[in-house]
Amino acid sequence: MEFTLLAAAAIAGAAAYAMLWWEAKHGNAARCTGNLWEAGVVSAVAGIFIGRIVAMLIDGVNPIAHPMDVILVRSGVSTAGASLGALAVFAWLSRKEPITMADGISAAALAGLAGWHAGCLVRGTCLGTASDLPWAMAQTGSDVTRHPVGIYAALILGAAAIGLAWWKAYRRPPAGAPAALAVIAAAGTRLVVEPLQPSISGGPVWFYATGLVVGVTAFVWAIVRR
Amino acid sequence: MTGHRGTLSVVFRIVVTTLLIALASTACSSSEPVEGIDAPTPVTGLEVQDLLAGSPEPIVLNVWASWCTPCRSEAPLISRAASEFGDEVAFVGLDVRDTPEGATAFIGEFFPDAPILHLADSSGQIPSELGGSRGVPLTFFYRVGGELSYLHFGVIDERTLALQIDELVNR
Repeated sequence: MEFTLLAAAAIAGAAAYAMLWWEAKHGNAARCTGNLWEAGVVSAVAGIFIGRIVAMLIDGVNPIAHPMDVILVRSGVSTAGASLGALAVFAWLSRKEPITMADGISAAALAGLAGWHAGCLVRGTCLGTASDLPWAMAQTGSDVTRHPVGIYAALILGAAAIGLAWWKAYRRPPAGAPAALAVIAAAGTRLVVEPLQPSISGGPVWFYATGLVVGVTAFVWAIVRR
Repeated sequence: MTGHRGTLSVVFRIVVTTLLIALASTACSSSEPVEGIDAPTPVTGLEVQDLLAGSPEPIVLNVWASWCTPCRSEAPLISRAASEFGDEVAFVGLDVRDTPEGATAFIGEFFPDAPILHLADSSGQIPSELGGSRGVPLTFFYRVGGELSYLHFGVIDERTLALQIDELVNR
């Protein structure tokens, strides 16, 4: 049971790696593909641990007194803490050419997120709120059909990743625009699917909305700056 | 692609360092009894089955122990869920193979105000009799009438807990 998270992480890693490989084949970021993979993996791992520590602090658990709890990521990871932590670590690792690196990893990051959400099939966490739509699904032994919300997120992010990779390969966008679009796609997807997820205390909608605003602002800045 | 060895090295160092700190500090953990918190009520398997069958509300039965580190990590989530959904679903905590001192300290730390009925099973046999195992944590979800809707082995995550509570409430 506990290994399903690792399986989902492996699917995410494979999707991100495949995207980097495809982009290298099509002339994108070939010079720094290895650096991108390294920075991406380290940022993701660091982000998960930072997000877990933030979640513990929010729950009132002292991570210094109970450090064993830090590795139990299934108990909860703060989305905002993990995202900001991963971004901070990535920014530090790519401090010599931050915009080039951010653009380089943008499509792979979206592909990785799509793979992570597709991993719900392994984790058994695809289902959301109740729905009567024709494609709604029920869990074993239940007659309540539900939105396959994990699949929605995987499809939206996967399509965004492919579209972004195509744009980078064949249209040569301005510096910073791919990274901004990736932020828009990631935040926008979560904003759309969050109301369809059953939740104990509500997802961080404020964080996704802020991410969307930051992404749009950065995108406009990149276009105008060109 | 280059840099894989560097990546693995950094990831390996992060994981090993975390594990070493975690293992070194577990020797320092302690539990103290808390004043004003009652120890869980000892029960038999039959009494638990009667409770499950006779409840007018669906039941989330969480099996925990104060010595169980994974139980510590999921306890804040269970507490939040009980506070959020306590009007629609009854929450029961079954403390297994534990001491009254450890149990009250655990309840005082994680469930001081949560609407949870805490029971104790010193033998640790009741979860197995209900279809689970001797391992903790476990979370059982029962429909009204005592029919088992879902059983989760190990630490439960927020999405699974929310979905299974929604299943109980939506039926």
